Amino acid sequence: MLERHIQLLFTDDAAGEAPAATRERLKGLFPAGATRRMTTLGMLVGGALGRLDPGEEDAIVYASGYAETCALESFLDSFPTPSPTLFQTSIHPSAVQQLMIGRQRPVREFLPHSGGALLAFHGLRAALLTPAARTLLCGGEERGTWLLDHGLASPRTFAFAMALADNPASGDAGTIALSADPGLGELGIAEFFDLLHRRTTFDGMVAPGWRLRLRWR
Amino acid sequence: MAGSPDPIRVAACGCVTPLGDAAATHAALLRGETALRLAEVLGRTGGDRVPLGLLDGRSLDETAPPAWLPALRTLNASIPAGDWGSPGRPVFVTGSNFGVGGLYALRTTGDPKFAVWGAPPTCTEMLRLELGWGPDVSILTHACVSAHLGLLQATRVIQAGLADEALVLSFDFLSPFVTGGFHSLKILNSGFPEPYRERGTGSIGLGDGAGFAVLSRGRGEWLISGQSLYNEMHHFTSNRGDGLGFARCLEGAARAAEGRRVWFKGHGTGTLDAGRMEIAAAVRAFPGAPVVGWKGGLGHTLGSCGLVELAVAIEAVRRGRAPGTHGGSGEAMSDAVSTGVLDTGAFDGVVCASNAFGGAHAAFLLCDA
Repeated sequence: MLERHIQLLFTDDAAGEAPAATRERLKGLFPAGATRRMTTLGMLVGGALGRLDPGEEDAIVYASGYAETCALESFLDSFPTPSPTLFQTSIHPSAVQQLMIGRQRPVREFLPHSGGALLAFHGLRAALLTPAARTLLCGGEERGTWLLDHGLASPRTFAFAMALADNPASGDAGTIALSADPGLGELGIAEFFDLLHRRTTFDGMVAPGWRLRLRWR
Repeated sequence: MAGSPDPIRVAACGCVTPLGDAAATHAALLRGETALRLAEVLGRTGGDRVPLGLLDGRSLDETAPPAWLPALRTLNASIPAGDWGSPGRPVFVTGSNFGVGGLYALRTTGDPKFAVWGAPPTCTEMLRLELGWGPDVSILTHACVSAHLGLLQATRVIQAGLADEALVLSFDFLSPFVTGGFHSLKILNSGFPEPYRERGTGSIGLGDGAGFAVLSRGRGEWLISGQSLYNEMHHFTSNRGDGLGFARCLEGAARAAEGRRVWFKGHGTGTLDAGRMEIAAAVRAFPGAPVVGWKGGLGHTLGSCGLVELAVAIEAVRRGRAPGTHGGSGEAMSDAVSTGVLDTGAFDGVVCASNAFGGAHAAFLLCDA
């Protein structure tokens, strides 16, 4: 069994909030002027991850199926004179990089994942296998526009970030564990986010052959 | 966690480039051939002519299904058979592009037939069904160090006792999306790449490429060790001026290589500052090691370069001859840069390094088992 203690957890469900409202709500978390080139997903993920104060020896595991959807859409719209800024911003791990570059904060391990039905499992497995004393598992999605019409974007906007440690501490929020199990099942990243956001206890299949146990204090 | 100190082996490895499979690519590089040709940066839309390496007969313009799919089918045929994607035999798919050319085609034509291969989750699911894999298929994408992340995750899954073997597959095929993006950054220009050469303006070339490796606990001729990463988080596209990220990343591979005589297969895209910093870090970490870079012949195969060039490096060690640095004839950035063919029999290991946007760095040591 792979198990870690959840030291801290921050979640943000933008639900039906307009992107402009989300940006206005979150801009106070970042230095003045820093948000001008940040994406909405970058502000959401950065807002959650930033509160964990990531450091050089932390490992960061990032899970997002579609990542920078809006920057991607805008970059595609910029052809035939493609925008270099949007090209940079549209790369998959950009949301985390926006925070970390803004803080000029290096990190040894950064493991960005994409994925579909098993993304939560793959992000968790990576997070529970890092040798770092503290692993920061974060993720999120932002709602697309025309890419969503083609099934190539998330219909929801949300983000989460949690700090995981080997050893228990008095202020822990809970525990998270993966164990082998012959059962079938899957848990998408949005469903995993809902468990975290509502602090829901869970004992069920997260992938074929793998059970997730999520317990809260 | 059921940790294991067992060394991880490369049980099988291969690649496909415009120069052919690993053996053909290795042979072509030894002959000094290049896959790069000048082509319009936006395909049929036109634009400046830039050095691109496209698979034989493939256009930069996207088709549905993708014209690169047969190349992946051919590569897949050389992967040892197994129930890949089952709980005990996971697959790690890596890359930086996936089917993003489909998104460009979707946007420019409006034809929904291009959509399904367009995003990493949908593209990988199509590939999973195409290649008959089970559901345990992870996707790692971190620009040009993506393949290294797949190798690292595969290693960890095996070392933790969660699998005996794992497959890492990486692919990047060019499209106007990525060529237009790099051209907008001005590093993909009309010049051919001259890695580790002093010149007035840096230039890169981009190339199609895919590779795979089967990592195993118990079988394989090659040991992979010293896998290390470092992310500067300094700037989206450039590195810190002091080269710290290059140096910090190589610490792990240098520890693994202690007591060995190694050669260094660098990243070497053809950009100037990064080339100088990479060489300086390699010389400090591996004194006396000759440095080679092959992107002058292959082009930069982006997120897949770590696996494509691993396959070529393995072929080089098998044959006893490693191609020298490709591209240009001007002054090298260091005496360590090797432009001639290396006799790999004089060494007992090769360090393979890659670098990426965001000041991301990755490296590992490959040795005979």
